[in-house]
Amino acid sequence: MRALAQLTLANTREFTRDRAALFWTFAFPLLFVLIFGLVFSRDSVTQYEIGLIDDDGSPQASVLVDTLEAMDVFDLSRGSLTDEIASLADGDRRAVIAIPSGWGASIDAGAPMPVEIHYDETRQSSQQIVVPVILQAFEAVDRTLTQSQPVVRPAFQTLRSERLSTIDFIVPGIVAFSVMNAGVFGAVNIVSLRERRVLRRLQATPVSRLTLVTADLILRMVLVLAQSAILIAIARLVFDIRLNSDVGSLAALAGVVVLGGLAFLAIGFFLGSFTKTEQGFFPVAQVVTFPMMFISGVFFPLEFMPDWLRPVINVLPLTHLAEATRQLMIGGATTIPMGVAVAAMAAYLVVFVALAVRLFRWE
Amino acid sequence: MPVIEVQDLRKSYDDVKAVDGVSFSVAVGEVFGMLGPNGAGKTTTVEILEGLRPRDAGSVGVLGLDPGRDAGDLKRKIGVQLQQVSLYPRLRVAEVIELFASFYGRAGVVDHLLALLGLEERRRAFVKDLSGGQQQRLSVALAMVNDPPIIFLDEPTTGMDPQARRSLWETIEQFKAEGRTVLLTTHYMEEAERLCDRVAVMDHGRIIAMDTPDDLVRAHFAEDAIEFSQRDGLTESEVESLPAVVNASIQGDQVSMFSDDVPASMAALLQLGQERGEPIQNLRLRRATLEDVFLKLTGRTLRD
Repeated sequence: MRALAQLTLANTREFTRDRAALFWTFAFPLLFVLIFGLVFSRDSVTQYEIGLIDDDGSPQASVLVDTLEAMDVFDLSRGSLTDEIASLADGDRRAVIAIPSGWGASIDAGAPMPVEIHYDETRQSSQQIVVPVILQAFEAVDRTLTQSQPVVRPAFQTLRSERLSTIDFIVPGIVAFSVMNAGVFGAVNIVSLRERRVLRRLQATPVSRLTLVTADLILRMVLVLAQSAILIAIARLVFDIRLNSDVGSLAALAGVVVLGGLAFLAIGFFLGSFTKTEQGFFPVAQVVTFPMMFISGVFFPLEFMPDWLRPVINVLPLTHLAEATRQLMIGGATTIPMGVAVAAMAAYLVVFVALAVRLFRWE
Repeated sequence: MPVIEVQDLRKSYDDVKAVDGVSFSVAVGEVFGMLGPNGAGKTTTVEILEGLRPRDAGSVGVLGLDPGRDAGDLKRKIGVQLQQVSLYPRLRVAEVIELFASFYGRAGVVDHLLALLGLEERRRAFVKDLSGGQQQRLSVALAMVNDPPIIFLDEPTTGMDPQARRSLWETIEQFKAEGRTVLLTTHYMEEAERLCDRVAVMDHGRIIAMDTPDDLVRAHFAEDAIEFSQRDGLTESEVESLPAVVNASIQGDQVSMFSDDVPASMAALLQLGQERGEPIQNLRLRRATLEDVFLKLTGRTLRD
């Protein structure tokens, strides 16, 4: 156990003291996200489109409508409830406020009816900015109408729009692409240890092959998890990307990231058994990873790919990782079912671990 | 009692017989040297003894264990230093020692080993910042991390400056003084003469001579060596025809001849030089060495 801990520590130190490795693992994928984000991000809104439906028409309702209209931050549009909700679903409204018929009378009767606020829960800025501002407006109306007593009771209606922006689509792809790179290129560690004859030296100690590989795996898996978490967190913060953020989805996402990372690390080990030097490993790894980056649905939906290429695309490991990641992050239907994607990655893992073990050389 | 016993060891790579029927034994507390040029089969032999390579034929015992079968047990007990290992460049010296100590379930050996190998001041240095000699010393320290009764050193002083080399020799002598056994390969005959109780001279996968350094020299050279440099002129046969000269060799402008009557040979040599108008330069007299033995046995020098 102590040998495993020490080896893991040694690998971690080697990694964290290597600026180039840090850059390629963390800064490079982030750069991708930022560039794509700036190109494809939604317009930067300073005014929020709000749908307003007044089915009441009472004096109290006019006060509420006037108050909302007076707020520069809102761009009100008045339509039927059905139309406005449809616009919300399309992403053209940040919220829809519906004043029910009989609302004014219910205030006079001392039992105010709720005013419905519809918003898209998957758009973070809606929750964090738009809804609080609406609530402020409601409080102001309370004061005007009754001097202090709260009469405008909000009733929240959430909605999940199915419309995706480009950045919502691309970030899961970049996460998958980064996991692939961290996995395949992570195998360079073993190649480098072999080239520098450290593996030979370790072979002369009682430390087992399993301990050696496990120590490497621990670091690599922590790295892919950290890398994915940072990528997603920053994309969410800066570009407000869509993300299923319930614990179950996040845990499943972590599982898929680790599974994909392991499968690609195994592929890296396999490639590494054919190359003698670190210098020789990189071009081989590039040849394997580079084409996948373009055809595995990382940056473009699989539907855009020509039919004749589909059979190839459908067996590539990155296709499965990207589809699974995307499905877990943004939900919705995908070309490849979750179970198939997970099974495919597990199959890659098993096959390439077996090959890598067979081809393993100390020197 | 022998701690290493090797009988008719053989190992081939494709068509090359790297080790071609080697037999020897090493006693407890002995420093045993394997001397020979690169490619002589020293490293292959040693790596078979360490359990790092399978053998084709022959029997091998180290500390009563068969490295081919009990490699796991053996590795816990022996100390190993290999050639051309470049350790984790971004680890600190103390961190590397601690890492290797953990493989043997040991702790608290760092201070002792740093002191033993004179690396205390480099304790916090990164491996990549060490000089070649310091890296060699670190790799010897790692061979001692499990306090082994026997240690295998494969060309431990390669790349060291003379001072670092002498200080490592002292460490090895101290190791021997504690009753431990050392198997050492080298192509420095000075190192073999100073450290080794016995030496096996290897060439082309075979042991061509094996004895104490003194006896090896004495067995092949009853004579002393006369050496000089010349610009051109004298041939090997001309030198050998001088009185009392039994053997001569010319390497570039360096001439070595062995004489059993030094005054007679030298007088004749000086006269010959005068007659030819070819002055004899850098004339010196010395005892024969292992290098001479090797040259006589193989016709090559150790560094060829």
